[in-house]
Amino acid sequence: MDPPVNHTDFEELAAGFALGALEPDEEQAFQRHLEGCGACRTSVRDLEEVSASFAYVPPAVEPPPSLRAWLRRRTGLTLRRRAARRIGTWQGTRVLVRALAAAAVLAVLALSLWNLALRDQQQIDRARIATLQAAARMVNDGTATRVALSGSAAESGARATVLASSLKDRGVLVIEGLPQPPPGRVWELWSLPQGDVTQAVKTIAFRFRSQPGVHTVQFSTHLTPTTGFAITEEPGPAGSAHPTSDPVLFGVPPPPRPGGA
Amino acid sequence: MRVRGSRAYRAPQDSHLVALVAEGDATALEALYDRYGEAAWSLALRILADQSLAEAVVREVFLSLWREARRFDPARGTVATYLLSTTHHRAVDMVRREENLRRRHGPEKVLALAPDEPSGLDDEVEVGGLIRSRIRTALAGLPEPQREALMLAYFGGYTQREIASLAGVPLDTVKARMAAGMRRLKDELREAGRQEQFPWTPR
Repeated sequence: MDPPVNHTDFEELAAGFALGALEPDEEQAFQRHLEGCGACRTSVRDLEEVSASFAYVPPAVEPPPSLRAWLRRRTGLTLRRRAARRIGTWQGTRVLVRALAAAAVLAVLALSLWNLALRDQQQIDRARIATLQAAARMVNDGTATRVALSGSAAESGARATVLASSLKDRGVLVIEGLPQPPPGRVWELWSLPQGDVTQAVKTIAFRFRSQPGVHTVQFSTHLTPTTGFAITEEPGPAGSAHPTSDPVLFGVPPPPRPGGA
Repeated sequence: MRVRGSRAYRAPQDSHLVALVAEGDATALEALYDRYGEAAWSLALRILADQSLAEAVVREVFLSLWREARRFDPARGTVATYLLSTTHHRAVDMVRREENLRRRHGPEKVLALAPDEPSGLDDEVEVGGLIRSRIRTALAGLPEPQREALMLAYFGGYTQREIASLAGVPLDTVKARMAAGMRRLKDELREAGRQEQFPWTPR
């Protein structure tokens, strides 16, 4: 395209500039023009305010705690921490769970969206929907599989679903109504290749920070479209290498549609 | 007298916080992160669809303010605009550089971000909620060709030329659509009252 020659040409570039939609050569030409043109600078300032509002179009997602922590360290608000308790990230950093005091309150990965008592049914339903939406965003994979878990705990009122992305090897367990395990014990999530519980792979051990509520537990592990999941109660703080009891919750993905996925 | 903790910085205007950051006040920077960190993160995540890349972008944005606050020029725009525009630009740059990111987020996916979809979780956030509903309503009210051009550019990182190619229309048409769309949004948002949009930003 022809380079901008008169001022109208530049005016027409302002919207594209504010949206970052110009070709590199146009953007450079416009940037140079801005240095010498007050009218265009005003125009761009107003347009950039509009485009900045677009940041509020996507759903709000809570940033990972590591972001704030990094900022605080980088600006000197906090000193470098000793590598003690760390919160799992999507890079596959393992969660190090350790007992704290005599009360043995264990560190928890679960991202509890609610720490209020949910008395109202409408609140509970809203919480469930919002948690599933948040879980879907955490996984961020439109092809993720939903695996509903059932079993003895479900009969006592627990509801659990795993959103699993075999594309990203990560997932989220959304769980509600599962009681806190006895002191010194943890719940452990296992991934089951081909849904085979005898092949259970250690995935993540957890307790809840607060009850009641709808909790999400993020995890990273190798996943395929046929991976199932199970939850057992294991000794704390970090669970077991293999399940030592029968699952209280168990589920496998729905079979793929005929004709291939 | 300086009070410790970013909670003490709830009330001040953004411009006051920037001035404090320019003096090396890290708590003031954290207060700006309290205000705009989530929006920056949500935007970067939306554009990049990758947590580690999004985190890298948002870190850089706030770090750039930490380093350059002394040179921040209020005549060029508000700090909210600076933080969110910089996030947007860096995220889009990254999408353009990383070919596989672009392939992951085809135009249909970009357009699938319906601006008027209910989100459920946003209701608790008062200030954010107000901006959120205003921009979404305003975007939803645009003629489809204008809205599509803006969405493809902003969330997909497509250039005007690429959008023209995707839509099968001349480049000038896309430019006109973008300009018209932005003009309408500007008028609508201005009518809604800038003071309500960013209450910490005086005008």
